[in-house]
Amino acid sequence: MVYGKESEVFSIQTIDLTKRFAKKRHRGIFGFLRKNQSENKHKEKNDVTVALDKVNLNIRPGELFGLLGPNGSGKTTTIKCLSTILIPDEGRAIVNGFDTRKETAMVRASLGLVVGGERTLYWKLTARDNLTYFASLYKMPRRDAKKRVEELLETLQLSDRADERLEDYSTGMRQKVAIARALLHDPPILLLDEPTLGLDPNFARQIRNQIKELSEKYGKTVLLTTHYMEEADQLCDRVAFINNGKIVAVDTPNRLKAMVKEKELVEVAVYRPPADIEKHIRSLLPDAEVVKLIPGDEDKGNPSRIKIIGGTAEEHVGTIIDALRQKNVRIGSLNVGVPTLEDVFIKLTGAKLTEGEIK
Amino acid sequence: MIESSYQQSVLRSNLFVVWNEIVKNIKTLLAYPTIIVFWAIFPIFWFIPFILQGQAFVGGLESANFAQITGSGEYVPFIVIGAVLNSYVNTLLYGMGENIRKEAYQGTLDYVLAAPCNKAYVLIGKAISESLSSTIFAISQLTISVLLFGMSITLGVMVPVFFIVILLILGLYGIALIMAAFSLMYKQSYDLSESIGYIFYIFAPVRYPIESLPTWAQIFGKLIPLTYALIIVRSFMLLGADLSTVYLEVIALLIIDLALLLAGFYLFSWMEEKTRKSGAISHH
Repeated sequence: MVYGKESEVFSIQTIDLTKRFAKKRHRGIFGFLRKNQSENKHKEKNDVTVALDKVNLNIRPGELFGLLGPNGSGKTTTIKCLSTILIPDEGRAIVNGFDTRKETAMVRASLGLVVGGERTLYWKLTARDNLTYFASLYKMPRRDAKKRVEELLETLQLSDRADERLEDYSTGMRQKVAIARALLHDPPILLLDEPTLGLDPNFARQIRNQIKELSEKYGKTVLLTTHYMEEADQLCDRVAFINNGKIVAVDTPNRLKAMVKEKELVEVAVYRPPADIEKHIRSLLPDAEVVKLIPGDEDKGNPSRIKIIGGTAEEHVGTIIDALRQKNVRIGSLNVGVPTLEDVFIKLTGAKLTEGEIK
Repeated sequence: MIESSYQQSVLRSNLFVVWNEIVKNIKTLLAYPTIIVFWAIFPIFWFIPFILQGQAFVGGLESANFAQITGSGEYVPFIVIGAVLNSYVNTLLYGMGENIRKEAYQGTLDYVLAAPCNKAYVLIGKAISESLSSTIFAISQLTISVLLFGMSITLGVMVPVFFIVILLILGLYGIALIMAAFSLMYKQSYDLSESIGYIFYIFAPVRYPIESLPTWAQIFGKLIPLTYALIIVRSFMLLGADLSTVYLEVIALLIIDLALLLAGFYLFSWMEEKTRKSGAISHH
């Protein structure tokens, strides 16, 4: 454990955690030759992506802590630095009182890890074989490992199909095996990276209930990364927003939402909006704090959405409809509602939490 | 739980890692039924062309010239022994790098590396499972040689031969670890494996006696563990020699084994550290 100010105890603490990756633009022999011919050789040598930029987190024991951000924002890099898969360039990370650089084995023994989901298991092996194998990597004695594997298969309702190869499992069942693997050695801390990504609603709900239970019933400290704000809102005691490798805000979901609570939100579903629609609406609504176009996937039946936060919704609605008509944009629906965590994120960063929107 | 997981004997927990790695690899291998065809049929294809070529050149299964160089005129057992021992080289050189590459590609490598166990034992498990499949392959090759070419094998001589094969495998583990290290950092080691495979094939006496090589090449060949293993095993099986006649070769093999193992483990842990800094594993 790490003792912070006023004797506060933390299960996970990061201090100015920084990680950079070299940009790999040149690939293969032709890329190498191009690189050497490049006039801008010096500049390219120093061309790096800052994946984590002085990240400071303090997570208390038993806390269910959410790390929210769009794809590429630094969530997985944070998890990988905490789990010792990556070595940070600067700063420190302390897990269960152990330094991730100096006390690697103890950090590893303190953690249960779910990163990358179902693909990270051996599909040609059964659930039982997978769990037994990973139990050995966690130095569990053979007898304890066997008992624990049976226990987890039972708890996660996998016993009936424990001897089937994972290639015959559904995505949700494989994800359950991934969670069972993280729990094998009964670690005090769990790092869960997008645990419900790609799951059908039924399995996603089961996994969420499981996570909640692990925190509430078994007192596990859980660091959960997700870009599903409803999930974070529903599960997490506290949430940190991360964008472009920087922590933008940390607080409870309710307090974060209070930042925009008194503001009114208008959300319009639209089809084929022109590129300048955001600018056009903003020019007509000078008192709106946020006007954000979130592109949808119209081919799959998901219209684009325009979110307007701030000002008076009643006054805005007419102006918005007029603005959209002027641009010949078809309106799918229009809602006036309470802002969500996503709205807070949009307000703070200008980006949205779902894929492909990071600036 | 963190403490209790460290309470069992270190040796037992490490052996459990090795055992489970072997079981995992063998089960994965057997999940592909075509592997049986590989073990049962391929051995024939590997050395039959060379035997037929030899027959065409010397007009029979024995050669006086060959006897002058090697002490035995029968070249079929000579070629079979070369093919059998070289199959260990092939399996371990390609198998280990490929195993690491596959693990990285399917995303399991992160979990293996993020576990608290000593990774050396995972690698030992991988190497043993690779050499087990080589041994099955070798048994197929020997059986076919006995049945098709009337090659005679004295069971008594197989004990020292087995011992030498173990020594060869130890040296090859060192090279396999180097392949694994390259695979970890550069995402594949196929080109390097291919190059080393060819160097072994040319400079070690796989298909011809080492005396057929120019002097400088013979000196180079004596840095390769396969060279000593082939010389010793052929001395046992074809010339009826015992340990007292080949003890210098055995010592040389032991020294090379040690050097390769140390280099392999050192390089792997160095590359592992390097990939954790660069994030190369995540970029697979």
